Formats: sequence, structure tokens, C-alpha cells
Amino acid sequence: MATMKFLCDSKRCIECNGCVTACKNENEHALEWGIQRRRVVTIHDGERGEASISVACMHCSDAPCMAVCPADCFYRTEDGVILHNKDKCIGCGYCLYACPFGAPQFKKNGAFGSRGKMDKCTFCSGGPEENHSEAERAKYGSNRIAEGKLPMCAELCATKALLAGDAEVVSNVFRERVAYRGADNAAWK
Amino acid sequence: MNKLFTRIGLAFVLLFSALSFAADKPAPEQPVDNGLLWAQLKDGATGYTTSQSEFHAMPINHYDLRVLELRSDWLAPGLMAALFGMIIIFALFIMVNGISKLHHGFSGKMVHRWSKFDISIHWLGAIPCLTLILTGLTLLAGRFFLQPFVSEGFWASFVSIGKQIHNIMAFPFMLGWLLMTLLWAKNQMPKMYDVKWFLVVGGYINFGPFKGKHPDAGFANAGEKMWFWTFALFGLVISASGLLLIFPNVFEPSRTMSLISLVLHGVSAIIICAFSIVHIFMATVMSEGGMDCMISGYCDENWATQHHNLWYDEIKANGTLQYKD
Repeated sequence: MATMKFLCDSKRCIECNGCVTACKNENEHALEWGIQRRRVVTIHDGERGEASISVACMHCSDAPCMAVCPADCFYRTEDGVILHNKDKCIGCGYCLYACPFGAPQFKKNGAFGSRGKMDKCTFCSGGPEENHSEAERAKYGSNRIAEGKLPMCAELCATKALLAGDAEVVSNVFRERVAYRGADNAAWK
Repeated sequence: MNKLFTRIGLAFVLLFSALSFAADKPAPEQPVDNGLLWAQLKDGATGYTTSQSEFHAMPINHYDLRVLELRSDWLAPGLMAALFGMIIIFALFIMVNGISKLHHGFSGKMVHRWSKFDISIHWLGAIPCLTLILTGLTLLAGRFFLQPFVSEGFWASFVSIGKQIHNIMAFPFMLGWLLMTLLWAKNQMPKMYDVKWFLVVGGYINFGPFKGKHPDAGFANAGEKMWFWTFALFGLVISASGLLLIFPNVFEPSRTMSLISLVLHGVSAIIICAFSIVHIFMATVMSEGGMDCMISGYCDENWATQHHNLWYDEIKANGTLQYKD
């Protein structure tokens, strides 16, 4: 099976936040107020050397979140996507501490500052519930992978800076770009 | 023609104005180096983002990834060993060595040793401590040692309840720890005779050259003192790291700080757990007549003379010895 990855080409990202909006819209009610699974970070904003990258869960092959979770709520799909089971999540926040990319998020509304269920990017492939079920939609949002489609953020990227798909295919696309224009280490992957 | 000159003149003015602006910035600008950009990102460079979520301005938080293995490969089995391993070792030790009996039996005369307040702060710390060990073991090691043997639904509710109990019980534990540490420290100061106590392992070994030895001990013997100071120190570490983890909204620790707290919390838990098992064994099984102290607050006179001779002599001499009515 494929190994799904995101890649963001920092030479193409124009910080339009279209991916953020696409994600929010696609996963609608699963994203509670204040949670955004994807964000665009601009380094050296307004200075020479400014570069923007779109960051979300990178679906690591050796995912640190998976290693620290006391409830063992994470699992890897056959596409190499890291998903989590919200029914198991205890809201301890350890995955947020362990994740290098700040992907896991919690809504803060409990007593003593306790956290709710963790939410993060699912690579638009839902959760452990039955594909396209009400429960899956409510907890995890969209499941485009089950429909044979790629994540909405990458599909709607206007400059095709953000690519999603099988690691090999995605890096071939990027390599072809580099062959034409250079900047071989401009990719966030 | 005139118009043309105006345009050329304007272009000249603009050209020199641009030059003059450039002259204000003496530093020659380096060409953009992507390698440098990634190096900066890996060092934790932050940027601008519209996201309001925690830590979102930093694309990469760098930390030592060995923390992950430390937790799963060392701390989780370590806490299992500190609980079950110590129980097995101590049970075997007692089977081989036998318990420490009172040589002259029970005298029936009970000597006042602990006040009712002392007993209550002991249990204020002790009962939460036991629940914290069990729930903490679930949170640290449960996924390796329990989850494979139970259903998914049971595991989900078990670990969730475990976390709730762990968070709640932390508070009576910390209060008990604070009171015990502050109020009991005066009786726990190390003395020279404590060294001799260690040399004969407290007189608890019933064979070889150690048999029948009764080293001197004051109100607390050297082993109890060691437990007290270990508990005081690691109780502080476990309380501080626990508070950091339970109130991230108050302390706002960095992610790396939280991971360090997590490791310190686990290390402290292993040490406190191992000592707790020894402490419980000593009080309930090993030392005949020892448990009375933390139930009634009185100990048998023969127990006092056998295990805490210096303390007994002292209270007898200064007249503070009180018998139970």
C-alpha cells in the first residue's frame, strides 16, 4: 500500500491560508471552536528570505505521539496515516508535548484546566468508526481517502505548494520542479 | 520634448533616492539560503501565523527523542518492577529469613508513640499514595502490560477513570506529604549510631553474623530515616512535576519542560513505589507489633525497647513516657 505524506514547497506557498480554510470547511463540526488542524507559518515575515510553510500532522513513520500516549489511542492505517481513537483519548496532553510539529490540539474547557479530547489532522481519512458514518463525521470530520480522493487542503492549494499523496509520487513531483528551477531543499516534508 | 526630460529627470531622482535608501542599510544582503532556513526551523525558529492555538508559531519543536524510549523501555518496566518485583523479592526474603519477632513476646503495656494527628496525616498521605501508584502504573505501563489482555471498551474506561483518580488523589497526597515532611523532620536527623544500624542491616537478618543483633535506634531508626528523606525529596519532585502536568494553563510550561516533568515524575514514582513496598512489608509483616503504631498510636513496650531503645530510654528518663489507659 501507499505511504501517505504531505509536502509543502516553500518556494510556492504564498501564505494565502487557503489550506487552513479548506480543512476547516471540509471537516466542519468535528473541529470545535478554536481548533485548526492546519496552519501556515511565515518565517522572516516581511524580511528578505521570507518563507511560508503549511504545517499539520506529518503522519510520521515513527510517530512520537503514538509512543507517549498512555491510553494507546493512536494507530497507523495501511496507508501510513496516523489516526487516533477519541473514545480512548483521556486528554492528558502528552502527545502535544511529544509532537515536534504541534499538531495535536485540545479545546480547553474542563475544570482545573483539564483538556478535552485531542484533535488533529486525519489526512482526511476519518477515524476508527465505519466509513462515512454519522459518528465518524461528528468526531473526525471528512473521509475523502475512503472515496479515493486526497486531503482537501492539498487539493484546494492554489499554487500547488501543498502536495498530498503517496510519498514517492509526491517527491517525484517535487523533484521535477527542482530540475526546472533549483532550490532542492525548499520542501517541508 | 519637455515632457521627456521631466520623465528622465524623475527617473534619475528615483534612481538616486533608491540608492540613498540602500546606503542606509550597510549590511550586504546574503542570498537566501534554504539550508539555513531549515537549520533555523530545526532550532525552533518561530514565525507569524494566524492560528491562535498553543505552540503554533513554532513549526518544529526540537527535543531529545530518546525521551520516548526512556518512557516505554525503562520507566514503564521500572515501575512494574518497583511494585510487583519488590513484592516478590520481599515475600521471598521473608520466606527465607523469617520475620523479626519480639524476643520477650508482647508485654501488653502500650507506650504512646504517635498522636492522633500524626496518624491522620500518615493515612492522608498513605491512602492516596497507594491509589496513585496503582493508577500511575496504569497510565505509564498499562498499555504494555494490561491492554493486550482486556477488551478495548474496558481498557478505554479503565485508563480514563485511572486518570481522573490520579488527578484527584494528587491533592490529599501532596497535603499529607507536606505535613509529614514539615512536622516529622525533627525526629529524622541522621546520627552516628545510624551508621552502625546499616552495618548490621538493622538487625533484621536472622542468619549468619547478623543474627540476633540489635543496633541502637532513636525515635526513628536509620532505615526509617532513609525512607523519610527519600520520601521528602522525591515527594517534592513528584509533586512539582505533577502540578506542572496537571495545570498547564497556570504554569504554561514549554513542551520540552513538560516532557522532562514526565520523566522526573516517572523516576520519582519508581523510587517512592519501591520504598513504599518495603515500608508496608516492614510495618505489617516483618516487624512484629509494628502496625499498632499507625492504628492506635501506641506501641508495645517490648517493641519499643527492642527496636527503638534510645528513644525508649530517653522518654523514660525525661518522664514523657505515657502508657495507654
